[in-house]
Amino acid sequence: MAEENRLNRKGFVVWAIGGLISLGMSIPAIAYIIGPALQRDKAQNWLRLGSTSKVELGTPTLFKTKIQRQAGWIVNEEELSVYVRTDNGRDFVAMSNICTHLACRVRWIAERQEFFCPCHNGVYDKDGKVLAGPPPRPLDRYEVKVEDNQLFIQGG
Amino acid sequence: MTTRIGNWLDERLGWRRAGEAIFLRKIPKVNWLHTLGSATLFLAINQVVTGILLTIYYVPTPDHAYDSVQYITAQVPAGWLIRGLHHWGASAMVVLVGLHMLRVIFHAAYKYPREMTWLTGVLLLLITIGFGFTGYLLPWDQKAYWATIVGTQIAGTAPVVGDSVLRIMRGGEDLSAVTLARFFGVHVWVLPAALLLLIGIHLYLVVRIGISSTPKRGE
Repeated sequence: MAEENRLNRKGFVVWAIGGLISLGMSIPAIAYIIGPALQRDKAQNWLRLGSTSKVELGTPTLFKTKIQRQAGWIVNEEELSVYVRTDNGRDFVAMSNICTHLACRVRWIAERQEFFCPCHNGVYDKDGKVLAGPPPRPLDRYEVKVEDNQLFIQGG
Repeated sequence: MTTRIGNWLDERLGWRRAGEAIFLRKIPKVNWLHTLGSATLFLAINQVVTGILLTIYYVPTPDHAYDSVQYITAQVPAGWLIRGLHHWGASAMVVLVGLHMLRVIFHAAYKYPREMTWLTGVLLLLITIGFGFTGYLLPWDQKAYWATIVGTQIAGTAPVVGDSVLRIMRGGEDLSAVTLARFFGVHVWVLPAALLLLIGIHLYLVVRIGISSTPKRGE
């Protein structure tokens, strides 16, 4: 039985050619399929949020800015929302409004002095630390700089 | 190990006998001209594989068709290769189908009992041309647009039914988004279904009846 099934020369050539063609086709095919997944957004420039005077002392203030994102052959303009907080008017903290649980948008509830995510009841304090609910880590922060009383964040 | 799995499967599927019937069948003395059909089959498989890959990025609307094709060609890794294989494979397939048909004509291989093989072959030729015609529009560039204007206009010159045929092909008076969408639908659904079915019948008949020998001088 084993003797009969031994690969002869013709069988080997057939399988070798077939294997080479399949390999030659499947490697480009895999690269082709996963290619866009491997592309990362290039580092963004500093994005201007607005004047520092808009930030109330002690209260996270919502800023909105537009960023351009390239997706395939389409350039999208996306809105980026950022909560900025300061205690002394000099040092600023910029937090993303994207919940770290499953990326819904959080909002500041002034009466309770908390960020709240409506999707799964995630709660964060004014510094973005998790107080309750499923979020695994604090709200993400952006690098901030101030120039001529204008707030800038490192976009991403 | 592989032998044991193979035996297990063979007991249930009987695939070895099927494989022997297909690949180890008796054939008369033949020459390289008899490989034109297999070469065409190989190209058809190439068109199916590369075609499926192209649909991953291609979008058949006037807004996106051209840009998505440019994206495939210039941005996606190996996109130029996949599109190139589909593009050149298409032309090569038309040429090979033609040569295959000429060989059958010159060898008179279409005669009894192979009339049905010939008939399905003729339908496969028409399907191949249909693929070429519908696929030509999809890149949505100037050449595609005007070639389809001309092609549908030619169909429109047919007596009596011409105008209706033209309107049905274009999906209206003018070449539009409707035309692009229906050419795409025909190219990726209707024609492939017909192609696979007819290739199945065509190959079944080739295996079942066997191929004709090369005619001798004076026959």
